[in-house]
Amino acid sequence: MNEKLKIGKFEFNSRLLVGTGKYENFDVMKKALEASGSEVITVAIRRVNFDKEDENILNFIDKGKYTILPNTAACFTADDAIRTARLATEAGLPKWIKLEVIGDEKTLMPDNEETLKATKVLVSEGFTVLAYTNDDIVACKKFEDAGAAAVMPLGAPIGSGQGILNPNNIKIILEQAKVPIIVDAGVGTASDVTIAMELGADGVLLNTGVALAKDPVKMAKAMKLAVESGRDAFLAGRIPKKLYASASSTMEGTIK
Amino acid sequence: MKLVINGQERVLECGNVSELVSKLNLNKDIVAIELNKKIVHRENFDNTKLNDNDKLEIVKVVGGG
Repeated sequence: MNEKLKIGKFEFNSRLLVGTGKYENFDVMKKALEASGSEVITVAIRRVNFDKEDENILNFIDKGKYTILPNTAACFTADDAIRTARLATEAGLPKWIKLEVIGDEKTLMPDNEETLKATKVLVSEGFTVLAYTNDDIVACKKFEDAGAAAVMPLGAPIGSGQGILNPNNIKIILEQAKVPIIVDAGVGTASDVTIAMELGADGVLLNTGVALAKDPVKMAKAMKLAVESGRDAFLAGRIPKKLYASASSTMEGTIK
Repeated sequence: MKLVINGQERVLECGNVSELVSKLNLNKDIVAIELNKKIVHRENFDNTKLNDNDKLEIVKVVGGG
């Protein structure tokens, strides 16, 4: 049965979550969002630039169609992430947060200690927290225990397009998870997304793989189909891998 | 008065947050404001006074992953 994706009090039919960064322009972004079939769209919170008036991205996102998920990207401390989450709500976005606290500029690997601190504070303030972390079962369990509504282990470093580098780790996380697991970051193409979904991930969150593809709208559609295809394959139950062949046509009745 | 807005020092005369928002030509419906690291709710823009050396963060939604 293809159940809805439930994250805290939020419910969705689509299991693909897409970002809005790095697009050539907002028109391409808008078309890609549509083609992706996503219902959850991530955004960032940044200082207003007084020298130059930018177009308001929210004019290109249909609020009736999408639920906007703010992130805490580029925060390096729990305090900054908490402040960003509060500002996002104040800017009129729903009270949930893709919580990421980065510990290293070059790899953008998460700082789990700081992320955990921020999780506890934001959960106590009533936020639905989606915690970005490593593909590490111990870290994922800690976020679950801290009250995260979903845990988002990375497939590979953010924006790297390397795919699911350690499927075994993701599998172990999925086997033990009590909250939805969304594979976030690192997927480069449709097959990467399918692998995550075939492993049993509850969803995939991506941005760069679509935004920087040569044809973002086509790639968005490919990602949509990849999520659906991987999910169906997971639900259908794959055959076990065997060392030797097993004939598909019966051996009985062959001519002699 | 001297204010530090988004990390930059500015000299502006405004008694409260609402006046600051209009002086900076901002659309108050799309920004979020923090005064000395505390959120100022939109409904309190009028009655939140500003003082010399206050630090403000004024943010909005942008593209991100």
